[in-house]
This record gives sequence, C-alpha cells and structure tokens, in this order.
Amino acid sequence: MTQGSVGRWITAVALVLLAGIYVRALAFTPTELLQGPAQKIFYLHVPSAWSAMLSMGLVGVASILFLFLKDERYDRFASASAEVGTVFSLVMLTTGPLWAKPIWGTWWTWDARLTLTLMLFFLFIGYQLLRSAVSEPGLRARYAAVVGICGLVLLPFIHLSVYLFRTLHPRPIVLKPSAPSLPPVMLVTLLLSFGVFTLLYVGFVTQRYAIGSEPR
Amino acid sequence: MNGPPQNAAFMVAAYIATAVILVAYAVILIRRTRGL
Repeated sequence: MTQGSVGRWITAVALVLLAGIYVRALAFTPTELLQGPAQKIFYLHVPSAWSAMLSMGLVGVASILFLFLKDERYDRFASASAEVGTVFSLVMLTTGPLWAKPIWGTWWTWDARLTLTLMLFFLFIGYQLLRSAVSEPGLRARYAAVVGICGLVLLPFIHLSVYLFRTLHPRPIVLKPSAPSLPPVMLVTLLLSFGVFTLLYVGFVTQRYAIGSEPR
Repeated sequence: MNGPPQNAAFMVAAYIATAVILVAYAVILIRRTRGL
C-alpha cells in the first residue's frame, strides 16, 4: 500500500466521521439558549482553528529539525503541513464571521485574536509564495524554515491574546488551566470534532507529503 | 420568556461552507495522489 493510498483512506474515514459530527452536532446536541443555533458553528470553528494551529506548530517544529539535521524530509513535511494549514485557516476564517454576525452584530472586528489569526493565514500564504518564488531547493528550504519558525512563535500569542488584550473573542473554554466550562453533552461533541479534524489533518498531510515526495 | 434567537441560517451557511472547503480539498488531493 503506497503512502498516497494510506492518506486517501485516512481522509475518507475522517470525512465519514465528519458527517457523523454533523449529525451529532445538529440533531443530538442541544441548542444553546442565549446564542441559539449559531452557537453550533463553534463545533466546526474551534476544531478548525485547532487544526490550523497544529499545522503551523508542526511546520515550525519540522523547520527547526530541518535547520539542525539538514534532512530534506522535514522540509517536505513542513511544506505539506503549511498547505493543509491554509485550508483549515480558511475554514476558521469562514466560520468565525458567520458566528460573529448574529452574536456580535458584525462580521469582523480588528481585535487582537482576530487580527493575529488573520496574520496566521497570511503567514501560511506567504510561506507558500516564498517557496514558489525561490527555485534553488536548498535556499528555498532554508528561507521557508525561517518563516515556519516565525509561525511557531506566533502561536502562543494567538492562544494568549484573549488574556493579554481586551478582545471581543471568547476566552478558551477547554484548553485552559481550570475544568472545561461546557455541559458534558456539548463537550463530548466538541472533543469528538477535535478528534475528527485532527484525523483529517493526518489524512491530508499524508497525501500531500506523498505528492511532495515525487521526483520532479 | 423568549426562546433561543432565530439565527439558523448562519449555522447552515457555516456547515455547508466547511463541508465544501474540506471535501473540495480532499477531492483535489485524492485526484493528485491517484496519479502517483
């Protein structure tokens, strides 16, 4: 079984499970009283943000490993993870405003959390533009690694931005020192969605890595 | 007492948009890896 077909299978299973998340979130998870149905966007928005940050975190780690070990596989992995991260960022930046409009009354506001996540998206785009602009492979990998490490440095600021600045964005309800502040039925839906989005990340990256490993 | 706000259209739009983006990317990757 090739790496590409392993990735295809993982992706297919993850998409079926994502359909299951849709059913669970829409039909079997109660509607929140104050926010109404729009609150259910949270079951897609938060896991997609998680996957985008996981993508950039692993781009950064792979970039550091590449600079130290000079192993071209780390560069290839970073490149694959950055492309996948762009897709998850797109989901995050699409679902976020669709939640914000009915709840905040505006599609977008330039507060710290939103601006930093937009920067994350631009870093993903910039990372790929840089890769396509430099033709010499060794140079391309080194320059890209520097951008990847910048992305890794950005992540703690994104997570902590809701504590460091006055923002409209809600604070973390699961990834925080105290216990999750969600009823169990909603928490289970969210955690299952985290799992499915992580599996989707694995499926996407496995396929993208297989494409990148082809001789050019 | 009022019930929950009526904003299901936003929820539906978000669920459709997410499915479209993720399935489209999955299809692109599957087509590209098939040729390997």
